Amino acid sequence: MKTWIDIDASELPRLAPRTHPLWWGILSAVAIEAAVVANLLASYFYLMAQTEGPWPPAGTEAPPILWPTVFLVLLPLSSVTMWWAGRGSDRGDKRQLAIGVTASVGLALLALVARSFQIASFDVKWSDSAYGSILWTITGFHFTHVVSAILGTAVVAVYAWRGYFNPARQLGVIVDTLYWYFVAGIFVPIYLVLILAPRIL
Amino acid sequence: MSRVPENPEATTSIRDESDPQMRARLAELEKTWQSPRGFIGWFTHVNHTSIGKRFLITAMVFFLLSGLLALAMRLQLLSPLNDVLDAQTYNQVMTVHGTAMMFLFAIPAMEGIAIYLAPLMVGARDMAFPRLNAFGYYVYLIGGTVFFLSLPFGLAPDAGWFNYVPLSGPEHSAGYGIDVWTTMITFIEVSALTAAVELIVTILKLRVPGMSLNRMPIFVWAVLVMSFMILFAMPSVIVASSFLMMDRLVDTAFFDVTLGGSPLLWQHLFWFFGHPEVYIILVPALGIVTSIVITFTQRPLFGYTAVVLALVGVGMISFGLWVHHMYTTGLPLMGRSFFMAASTMIAIPSGVQIYCWIATIWGSRPRYASPMIWVLGFFAIFIAGGLTGVMVASVPFDRQVHDTYFVVAHFHYVLIGGAVFPLMAGLHYWFPKITGRMIGEQLGKWSCAVTFVGFNLTFFPMHQLGLEGMPRRVYTYLPDLGWGDLNLLATGGSFVMAAGFGMILVNIIVSLRSGEVAGDNPWNASTLEWATASPPLNCNFAEQVSVKTANPLWDWHEQNQRAMVSGLSTTQRETIVTTLLDALPQSVMILPGPTIWPFVSAVVASICFLGLIFSPWFFVVGVFGTFATFVMWFIPPRYTTDPNADLPEEAKS
Ligand code: HEM
Ligand SMILES: [Cu+2]
Repeated sequence: MKTWIDIDASELPRLAPRTHPLWWGILSAVAIEAAVVANLLASYFYLMAQTEGPWPPAGTEAPPILWPTVFLVLLPLSSVTMWWAGRGSDRGDKRQLAIGVTASVGLALLALVARSFQIASFDVKWSDSAYGSILWTITGFHFTHVVSAILGTAVVAVYAWRGYFNPARQLGVIVDTLYWYFVAGIFVPIYLVLILAPRIL
Repeated sequence: MSRVPENPEATTSIRDESDPQMRARLAELEKTWQSPRGFIGWFTHVNHTSIGKRFLITAMVFFLLSGLLALAMRLQLLSPLNDVLDAQTYNQVMTVHGTAMMFLFAIPAMEGIAIYLAPLMVGARDMAFPRLNAFGYYVYLIGGTVFFLSLPFGLAPDAGWFNYVPLSGPEHSAGYGIDVWTTMITFIEVSALTAAVELIVTILKLRVPGMSLNRMPIFVWAVLVMSFMILFAMPSVIVASSFLMMDRLVDTAFFDVTLGGSPLLWQHLFWFFGHPEVYIILVPALGIVTSIVITFTQRPLFGYTAVVLALVGVGMISFGLWVHHMYTTGLPLMGRSFFMAASTMIAIPSGVQIYCWIATIWGSRPRYASPMIWVLGFFAIFIAGGLTGVMVASVPFDRQVHDTYFVVAHFHYVLIGGAVFPLMAGLHYWFPKITGRMIGEQLGKWSCAVTFVGFNLTFFPMHQLGLEGMPRRVYTYLPDLGWGDLNLLATGGSFVMAAGFGMILVNIIVSLRSGEVAGDNPWNASTLEWATASPPLNCNFAEQVSVKTANPLWDWHEQNQRAMVSGLSTTQRETIVTTLLDALPQSVMILPGPTIWPFVSAVVASICFLGLIFSPWFFVVGVFGTFATFVMWFIPPRYTTDPNADLPEEAKS
């Protein structure tokens, strides 16, 4: 059988950060996490629907609104610095990248502090009622994600300061940013359901 | 980039084995893709052929163990008031059998065969995330082993494979049994999800140039559908089992009615996963059957597009059926009617599938070799199971037979017909590819016949027992109920079936040693896994090809020429990346080599999962522990041999 050369792969980029399969992998991970959140929120509504009387149950206050709102603002802000860092990395500006990701980690740490205040002020314990259980679970789930996003980004920051990344090598930055956006974005439905809905419904 | 050669005759054939330059090139490539040898080396393998084979073998071992448990149950039910197993042991054996068959055999076996074959079928050198693959395997191995060990230690769960609350809640199930169950589920979730992500990305991005979506083999489509189903079904059981774990561990109240919880929430979440799960098992099986039908009729599939749509349709509809497992829970009539209609709808895509197979076989002269015989067994059993499926999908009928042996008969027809027979067909079909030797043909056919007869003797009588009112999940029954004869028959049948599986095992062992040596493509099949040596090279393909049609091997043969990709490195692991729909060349992915870290990560994660049974603090330990091992695993190499990376000097130090 005759074999002929159809494609010469030596011309193709090896470290294409924007079309790299890892980007799709992270997207799949994000899809899984989003499905988990959807299941958690569906469970929240299910428990709400089969509770007779008010929700949160009589005698329980809805979570106070101040700290979650601070959190809601800080997280997107940290996404902006993340985006700015990525811009820098596109242009090969290593300082901007390093400063950007470090700022994001800092802002997210602040957000975690706000979040902890909020959790401390919950009016209900997880063992008090099914409402308390689901409230704590969703909050804890998101908290864990912020922590893991911070850990991951901290590693990226260390490498950024050591000058590891360059435009061809920014895959790590790009996937980390994608995950960061997700962690920030997924808080919006959580905020709407857990914090805002009990006040306006 | 792509060009048709003016004169294909003029270019030399790369696989010209006599050319010393080419031989040296291939040797270097094979060295690059070689997995380390030795005991420690074993834990560092990442090649998908190696991991896929391990998944398959491990799943088969768990299948044998669960099968032995089934025999123990059948012995107990041989006659009324028998005393082989006491009630408590029976419950444990039954739960471990059901859970292991579903979670430790059926799903991982399908994943294993997909991990082994899908990359070969799309012409890739390996999967997109080889290390993740290895991680998923170790998690599965450890989780499954611990689960089986719980039985001899008397710590096995005993609340059935769907583990309903409140029976499985803290109040009614003290002890560690249920915790073992929820933990095992966590392991399987992790390993199934990693396999799914891996398969999706490999199939979408690592297909060889020219393999647009509409030229992808049906088996690969089936694997893609399966993986997406895992992606969207598993999260429900993650949530359900975490709720239960927390209810048992830290006193949350998800399922505690007195505190506003709801036991039905468990059922919704479990079955939102559980029903699709059956199709997660079935869909790749349909892919196996289709591959075999194409090869043994030697013609392209009739209605390719219809079959793809049917597979996708089955996948989507299966997410809308979960409530048919809950007809007896007092749901509103409206809801029940809706799910009854939806359940009947699944017959439409299944019918399309079957008609396309019939049309493909029609008028061809199929070759009735052993894989095809197993496929015929699948047709007969699966269609019978489908018929009883339509029956139990109907609300009034189901309310009569719910929780009786009729249901046990139904789901064994679907599961053994829909998963075990296709897997065995696939085993006989791909055995030469995986091992390099043909599997014994005579024994292959006889084992199928014996299994088929044994299966029907075991499970057909159960329909009647169910209609006579014998409940499932009972460890014994009274003599004057008149169920003794049929149970005796069923137990006899189960030993015939066991003999059938024993024959397969013997056949495998004998064929491994002395089977006829198989060439690259012993069945004259049309898909790319047959375009490499048997067993496949370390690098899968000496050179990646570029395909122009849907049945490349047949067309190469006809035109006496084929196109390939050149310019991939022989000193690092490279595979070509193409666009999602049309598979146009896009870039080259450098894959990571062997490493111990996925194994270490899996061990750390396992310790923390298991620790959760005893203390919630293991959650915190687990998050940080696995994170640390992940960093080690992902840490980028200091230097690069890559021509595109123009690293400044200081970063290289
Ligand atoms: C190899 C031959 C097999 C035999 C003889 C067998 C026999 C049995 C028996 C006697 C039971 C218990 C019924 C009861 O007490 O209610 C059972 C339950 C079950 N089997 Fe099998 N089985 C076999 C294969 C399989 C396979 C291949 C699967 C799935 C892939 C499977 C899945 C199940 C499940 C899910 C249950 C339900 C457990 C429960 O009620 O929680 N079995 N089987
Ligand atoms: Cu179902």
